[in-house]
Amino acid sequence: MALDYRKCAEEIFSHLGGKENIISAAHCATRLRLVIADNSKIDTKALEEVEGVKGLFDSNGQLQLIIGTGTVNKVYDEFLAVTGLTAATKADVKAAAASRMPLWKKILKTPGDVFVPILPAIVASGLMMGLVEAIPKFWPAFGSSDWYSFLDLVANTAFALLPVLVAISAARVFGGNVFLGAVIGLMMVHPALINAWTVGNYAAGEIPTWHLFFFNVQQVGYQGHVIPVILAVLLMSTIEKWLHKKVPEMIDLFVTPLCTVLVTAFVTFTIIGPVFSILENWVLAGAKWLASTLYGSFVMGAIYPWTVVMGLHHMYNVIEAGMIAQTGLNTWMPIASAANFAQFGACLAVALKVHNQKTKAVALPSSLSASLGITEPAIFGINFRFMKPFLCGMAGGAVGALFGALFGLGAPVYGVTGIPAIPAVNNVPLYLVELLIAAGVAFALVWFIWKEDKPEEKKAAPAEEAPAEPMPSVIRCAAGEILQPCKGQVIAREQIPDETFAAGILGEGVGVIPEDGIVIAPFDGTVTSVFDTRHAVTLEKDGMEVLIHIGVNTVNMQGEGFTAFVEEGAEVKAGQKLLGFDREAIAKAGYNDTVVMLLTNSDDLEGVETGIAT
Amino acid sequence: MKSFEYTITDPVGIHARPAGLLVKEIKSLAGSAVTISKGEKKVNALKLMALMQMGIKQGETVKIEVEGGDEEAVAKKIEAFFKANL
Repeated sequence: MALDYRKCAEEIFSHLGGKENIISAAHCATRLRLVIADNSKIDTKALEEVEGVKGLFDSNGQLQLIIGTGTVNKVYDEFLAVTGLTAATKADVKAAAASRMPLWKKILKTPGDVFVPILPAIVASGLMMGLVEAIPKFWPAFGSSDWYSFLDLVANTAFALLPVLVAISAARVFGGNVFLGAVIGLMMVHPALINAWTVGNYAAGEIPTWHLFFFNVQQVGYQGHVIPVILAVLLMSTIEKWLHKKVPEMIDLFVTPLCTVLVTAFVTFTIIGPVFSILENWVLAGAKWLASTLYGSFVMGAIYPWTVVMGLHHMYNVIEAGMIAQTGLNTWMPIASAANFAQFGACLAVALKVHNQKTKAVALPSSLSASLGITEPAIFGINFRFMKPFLCGMAGGAVGALFGALFGLGAPVYGVTGIPAIPAVNNVPLYLVELLIAAGVAFALVWFIWKEDKPEEKKAAPAEEAPAEPMPSVIRCAAGEILQPCKGQVIAREQIPDETFAAGILGEGVGVIPEDGIVIAPFDGTVTSVFDTRHAVTLEKDGMEVLIHIGVNTVNMQGEGFTAFVEEGAEVKAGQKLLGFDREAIAKAGYNDTVVMLLTNSDDLEGVETGIAT
Repeated sequence: MKSFEYTITDPVGIHARPAGLLVKEIKSLAGSAVTISKGEKKVNALKLMALMQMGIKQGETVKIEVEGGDEEAVAKKIEAFFKANL
């Protein structure tokens, strides 16, 4: 029978204690996941009774209602319509659940949250770009080949248009429309604007300017920028969400996006952008001053990576060009190289130390790319995310930069750092020493100070690998507890897809939608019978008579696809394998494979209750 | 005491569901003690577990005995149940 999704959603909503009590809603393949403000306001009992809700539990601050594949999304759509909530992704729900985090932590976390999804793009590009740009330094002829120009285009696409990737990802993080986010990102690198990478070539008066109200807006793009883009998209998402609430539904579709984009664009170019360009000029002036002194170099080596996080580092070409014009020697390069190489060292240490395979897979290529002077993947993907490696990198950068300044290192070229700069420096051995110091200090610090922070993995891993992990109790009575007999989702007896079981004719109990094909003993007890067809087994302990029955109507399979690991009369321990079943074979035969566990003499026992113990 | 014999026609025998239904049916006929036997084995028909453990299959003949209460009527009803379900 088809479920009335609307009715189901309305009933769920009616038991949640009002709209104010729902912070956000999302769904996964089978569950409706809600973040609830005050759990005491919800009527759990009534929720369980709602037709279509197969079960519910509270986990990690989320109320999870089991609804089922193919159904949950429809109920979810109706639920949004009924409640007027906007769609949230699973990540949003997690974010809402984590919203009690202090503000400064949230702010530091944001660039990481934005960058993690786009890491594949920037890791690949960063590595390629580093290699492509390094080759001509050692083999100049390559630099003028068609291959070079083609590979360079491929490699730098993601960086040249980085704001677009950042904007899309940020829109997801902040809950805005990703396409509007993309528009904001694209606008910030629009070809009609002067490319931020080349703006240094223009004299101040040459840059075209818009006069909007009392704002004078320089028509410069945001290539290479990160923070202004994140801020712009944060603003956009805030405006968009606010408008969605205020604008009547009839005109919402065109009014909201239009106003959102327009207002965001205006504020971005008139306020966010200029504020950042002022900041940039200060940083530039400060950096120039710092780089001219010995101890300044030390400080600059430390704070350099912060300016990468801010997206200001591309401005340094101006400083370098100025130095070469004045003295013929670019002494900025050793500072930048030390800072970048230290991030390489820190990232490499993470790569070698970390156990999480995913992190390792990102850290290794990221560190390589950093050694070639492209540090964004290493910084955003690894070091800044874990923070400590970033700080260790700062230390390495500071020491390296000090060494460089002490020995008057420099180069007559600009725009390169790290390994690619080797052919150009005025003293190659000392430069190599500098790189070693910077990377070595950072590497050593990370190696000894940083510890892999893995609470999530710890929680997830045992569930995966340890069948020995105790199952929760699903039936309780005066005589004792009966544990879940099979991995999977526990559903209420009423939801078992078979009338006889569901009606409780054979006793109280629960169903389990199995995740694997193993039925285990639900307590230490005696196997009182194993059906000839191996699809069911009965057990006894302290007067509790339990039937575990795999699937519905599977008796018709005559044992095909079922294995018995025990015999009648066997004494078993909780968790011991009883029966094995082939889920595919059951599906092929056209039966449901819900594992049913019933306390068949529940009528004679006292205090029987079912469901996962809370 | 009233008794009758019945040969199971259900291809899967008295497995979980029919056993459950049978127990339910017999419970509703309170007042009589009902036993079901196959060969030597004899069980209280109210005991689902015991009933299932007999593993009664198609073609096997069971003997049902009703003791006490309105034996005649109860036996008739149980027989009707067997014919309809088993």
